[in-house]
Amino acid sequence: MDENDEIFDFEQAYDEEFTNESHLLSDELIINHNDNYSNQVINKVMKNSLIPTKDTEPQQEQQHQEQQQQQEEEIVIDEDDEDQYDKFIPTDSEKIKKYKKDQEYLITVSKKPPTLLTPPENFSPVCGLIYRSSFPRIENFEFLLKLKLKSIICLIPEEYPPENIEFLNKNNINFYQIGLSGNKEPFVKIKPNLVNEALKILTNPENHPILIHCNRGKHRTGCIVGCIRKLQKWSLSMIFDEYRKFAYPKERPLDQQFIEMFDDSEIQNLAFENNWLPLKW
Amino acid sequence: MGEEEKDKDKDKVKAKKDKAPPKDAILIEQLPNLATPNDAATSTTITKPPSLRIVPPLNFCPVERRLYRSGQPSAINHSFLEQLNLKSIIWLAIEDPQDNFLRFIDENNINFFYNLGYDSIDSNSWDGLSESSIKQALEVIADEKNHPLLVCCGMGRHRTGTVIGCLRKLQGWNLASVSEEYRRFTGVRGGRILVELLIEAFDVGTIQIDKEVAPDWLIR
Repeated sequence: MDENDEIFDFEQAYDEEFTNESHLLSDELIINHNDNYSNQVINKVMKNSLIPTKDTEPQQEQQHQEQQQQQEEEIVIDEDDEDQYDKFIPTDSEKIKKYKKDQEYLITVSKKPPTLLTPPENFSPVCGLIYRSSFPRIENFEFLLKLKLKSIICLIPEEYPPENIEFLNKNNINFYQIGLSGNKEPFVKIKPNLVNEALKILTNPENHPILIHCNRGKHRTGCIVGCIRKLQKWSLSMIFDEYRKFAYPKERPLDQQFIEMFDDSEIQNLAFENNWLPLKW
Repeated sequence: MGEEEKDKDKDKVKAKKDKAPPKDAILIEQLPNLATPNDAATSTTITKPPSLRIVPPLNFCPVERRLYRSGQPSAINHSFLEQLNLKSIIWLAIEDPQDNFLRFIDENNINFFYNLGYDSIDSNSWDGLSESSIKQALEVIADEKNHPLLVCCGMGRHRTGTVIGCLRKLQGWNLASVSEEYRRFTGVRGGRILVELLIEAFDVGTIQIDKEVAPDWLIR
């Protein structure tokens, strides 16, 4: 039975943590006791690095500056990681060229070989004829055709890539773009009025079948789908459960807060007018 | 004297056990006591969802138009299920469903496909589904007469995941995408390799799709 193997020994873990902490404490104590010694060490460090004294040579100063710059750059890269995760990265241009060639070939041959369908990551129906996914790439186009989409809502502020626009035009799909910036601690926040706009489009049955996507299909899409669930009167716990399922392993508490706090009264009235509510699954 | 009292206590406990509520009931005693102390110490079942919000069953998700998946619904989910206007339910677990779920199925005139996961007396709840069970389930799914349809098992993770995974394969999805969807519903303990092997090994060619009765999302 695998269950027995995975039982976590809390007591042991607690003990380990505790002893580790006590180690830390004792180290600090030692430093405090040997005040003279530690002062000396600190003085040495100060002289060597932080304060450029007369003794230090200009070369050393330059080195220090370079080091500092390097450190700063490293920090910037760290911050970018989270940004990069949500940012749209265009498909490799050679891949697109090959795709276009294949398309032309298919037209001339007319019968295409049976291939496996590739749904975009995080693809799922939401309710009725509303679908959600991550950013659709050329390899997902064949799959999307099966949905017979009438519209697509894109939630990223970046420009829509030309190959996707071509796909839209070819298949007469309406395109809406609402550039949301994701919820990021602590200052960037999703704007509720933009979410309202997106929901207006989504709850209009004339636009169905409709696909909603951002870059990863996790955070921005998750927020909008959460708001749809709120319109459907789902309990908040189950909304959060669904949000976490799709956002795993990058769940954001701020997104869940947004869903909870979002005022959907305006959209609710509109959805009733559009005959989208009460919902017919 | 002391022993007699103990015996009395034991009797009380026994009496309580005899009156045991259904498994899914939320006991008032178990809830934190926020309001005035409860005089009626007897247990009651909460059947209404909190504050007019509806509660979908555990792991509920639409799979395709008029096809849904979930774990076993409890009394609190019934108002939600009524919205779906279900015509049929596929039950994949070996264990019998709870009484109130059966009652719900009965009251709403729902076709109930069960015993699919039950292949022999020796089968266990942690065994995977057999090929014939998957086949039977897929044949029910492939007939639009049975829709709107809910596929469920105890938790809506592995058995439901197996059938939905094989359905995705039947629809022509690649295995990586099938596995991504399966693992979305398996919770923190992750997916079972056995289930994924089962999906990979399942021969989709054995399923015959009658184009006249199949839902249009299944026809390639």
